[in-house]
Amino acid sequence: MMRWLGWLYLLTAYGFILLPVAVLVLFSLQDGRLPVPPFQGVSFRWYADVLGDRDLMAALGNSALVAVGSSALACALGFLAAYGLARHVLPGAALVRALLVLPLAVSTLIVGLGLLIGLNRLGIGLSLWTAGIGHVVINLPLCFAILYSAMGDQQRNAERAARDLGANQAQVLWLVTVPMLRPALLAAFFLSVTLSWDEFIIGFLLTRFDVTLPVEIWNLLRSGLSPRLNAIGSLVFLASVAVVVALEILVLARRRA
Amino acid sequence: MSEGARGWGFVAPALLWTVAFFLVPLGVMAAMSFARLDGRELVWGLDWGNYAKLAEPAIGQAVRVSLEITLTVTAVSVLLAYPLAAILAFQVPPRWQRLALLLALLPFWTSYVVRSYAWLLVLSKQGVVNKALMGLGLVTEPLTLANTRFATVTGFVHFFTMLLTLTIYANLVQLPRNYARAAQDLGASGWQTFRHVILPLTLPGIVTGAFLSFVLCIGDYITPQILGGNNELALPQVIMVQLGRRADFPLASALSVVLMGLVTVAYLLSSRWLRLDRT
Amino acid sequence: MTPWSRACLSAAAVAALPGAALAQELNALVWCDHADPALVEPFEQAHGVRVNLREYEGSGAALATLEQSQPGDWDVLVIDAIDVPRVVEAGLMAELPVDQLPTADFFPQVLMEASTTRDGKVYAVTEKFGYNTISFNSAEVDAEDMQSLGTILTDEYAGRIAIYDYYLPVMGLAAVSLGMQTADLAADDLPALREMLFAMKERAATVGEVVASQTALATGEVDIVIGGGEFLTAVLAAEQPEMTWTIPDQGAVLWAQSIGVLEGSQNKDLALEFVKYIVSPEGQARLATSSCYWGMPANRMAGEHLTDEQKAVLRWDEQEQYLSRAQLYPAPDADLDTQMQDLWLEMLQR
Repeated sequence: MMRWLGWLYLLTAYGFILLPVAVLVLFSLQDGRLPVPPFQGVSFRWYADVLGDRDLMAALGNSALVAVGSSALACALGFLAAYGLARHVLPGAALVRALLVLPLAVSTLIVGLGLLIGLNRLGIGLSLWTAGIGHVVINLPLCFAILYSAMGDQQRNAERAARDLGANQAQVLWLVTVPMLRPALLAAFFLSVTLSWDEFIIGFLLTRFDVTLPVEIWNLLRSGLSPRLNAIGSLVFLASVAVVVALEILVLARRRA
Repeated sequence: MSEGARGWGFVAPALLWTVAFFLVPLGVMAAMSFARLDGRELVWGLDWGNYAKLAEPAIGQAVRVSLEITLTVTAVSVLLAYPLAAILAFQVPPRWQRLALLLALLPFWTSYVVRSYAWLLVLSKQGVVNKALMGLGLVTEPLTLANTRFATVTGFVHFFTMLLTLTIYANLVQLPRNYARAAQDLGASGWQTFRHVILPLTLPGIVTGAFLSFVLCIGDYITPQILGGNNELALPQVIMVQLGRRADFPLASALSVVLMGLVTVAYLLSSRWLRLDRT
Repeated sequence: MTPWSRACLSAAAVAALPGAALAQELNALVWCDHADPALVEPFEQAHGVRVNLREYEGSGAALATLEQSQPGDWDVLVIDAIDVPRVVEAGLMAELPVDQLPTADFFPQVLMEASTTRDGKVYAVTEKFGYNTISFNSAEVDAEDMQSLGTILTDEYAGRIAIYDYYLPVMGLAAVSLGMQTADLAADDLPALREMLFAMKERAATVGEVVASQTALATGEVDIVIGGGEFLTAVLAAEQPEMTWTIPDQGAVLWAQSIGVLEGSQNKDLALEFVKYIVSPEGQARLATSSCYWGMPANRMAGEHLTDEQKAVLRWDEQEQYLSRAQLYPAPDADLDTQMQDLWLEMLQR
């Protein structure tokens, strides 16, 4: 009895969770101007429309650039800080750790607004750069937290051994610590790319002409109800799922090997 | 070079970045919240006028609306996610768990703006929910679901149920199975095992997830803006109105400080609860 | 490679793409109707330049953006005609060579010389206009009832109404229906307006911007949009001809937007070319039917570039009569503007 209830709950939950995605994808194929029932037949014209949209494709490129760039920088900064705090005894270390993860507990709206006001004061114009700075601010705490918790004593011993064998500081970091932390570095990087890719409010507040994809989608939403929105939403969704599935298969294959 | 100096050398870049692009801007924002706009002229000073506006019905209510929505969403999401995570962890065969979890998190990979928009389509008068309800003969007139608080809460709950399912599931699979077995061997019923063994052990995970949901939910602009139909404004919406319509940075700053205050209170409450739980 | 050089490399990668670009760029601060590629691309191709567009939500925000920018950041500004004096006073607009612009072909009622001209110098020209009035679904409501806010704000239509989310036109419409003159609105009029707005809100299902209101109407969420007009229903005309609009017996509000060149522009010649393109008959026809919202072109010669269907949707032939019954957007001073915005927020939050 309980088991049946369990399966029923699972099915209902899947229904609830997948409903908006199903509707989104279904009406991206709508052969008509409005993405609401009745469904008027299958057409791929909205996909063609979206793929031919210069601004949308530019935004896609901008988002990829900001996500990868800001995540790489956040990982590098987070890695160095984690190394410094894990391997050295520093006065006030607890305070520094708290400060580094603090942005996690502050809404991105506030991070963005603070930066906007600060940049305005300094007379610095908005661009993709400023949005990138904001994304590093929100990605850094995550990268730092993941990498700090991954720095254990086993690497410390390996590092000491390398140093005893005559490696200098940079060689130790690059040839010993980084490879040993590879899984954590990759996890931090991909999580941060995912978050940055989908971030709206900082992109909205801190860009001018070159905008990120969520901002361009928002502009699209404000400029007309159309299955185009479903089409771009479905495209991003299907592409992301393809990447996730590919990663999953790679990881599984490696684990079996 | 001393040990300490070298350590600071590693920490410095991240620390400088956080101070320069996070702490200092927050400080400027805090100072801005005490400035005021005179026409279009920005007058710095120590003016509590922006905070006094909290007493105005329109702005004070935004705080209430935000709190009501966020607390509802957090509570409902925990209640929906816990059983789901438990079923995934204990009932689904282990070899299918990864796939089942992935399926339950699938909408994570839709763009976040698009997700709210998709709910708008689902809940509209001609949307699939209303069509289904009418097809089943449950209602004769389409229900007003979109552009309401219900729609905002649904959109939020959808996202946070996924998020909490993930965090709670991660917590549950780490539990040593023997604990539950031991409790049952000692004669505990299923409910007693849950109440006295599993729940306390997963509480930190739940509170962490709930706190994360609280922070993300109370600071979100998009979901209420797309789904709420402007029938009531949450705090982030009022902040964005100040920015977008009238560029009133001082008032927007003050409201942001209030928003930060709410998050701080939530943090203190949940951290206190956590500590109580440990003692 | 050290993490440092890696960090530098990734920073360099971020720098590589954006901005590196074409010979000349034009930066324009605009309403969303200008962000239609069909409008902008012909100009870009003709001049071999790139036009960067940034949309904004309200005149206050546009002014703040301009004030916080460096000289040369912006070349062209599109703004509500009634707000032109505010930008001119701030010294932000450049004089336009009026002899190079086809204003003689414009609908004379929308020239708005009082706003666009100061001391005999012209700082902006009207480019597009229309009405904030009543849009409705003629299959669901009685068209007769739509001729007055009095017959709309009844129990029959409760919960079937959307309000267009911009304070000036909707308050203007409320004022017109109360028999006030939008040009003379003062603080004493606010109590009466407040009552009217609250009466609207009480019966409204949603308050939304152009697309949100359009969506609500198109999906049957609501049957009436207060503050709507051709800009809301024109896009729906092809598939849902039952979506239409009317001007109530008491009248409606005329909206008009203007375009001009910014004083700080370092590209004034190109900016002027853009303004000329927008007010040319071809540019006007494209602007009138752009994707975000439709509206009447200020230049009557645009008619030659519009199809009969487009003209029918825009109600080209009825403009003289409509114009005679419409009043301008209210033009509050800074104090009254703040009070009106506060009242609007209070209405939203009710």
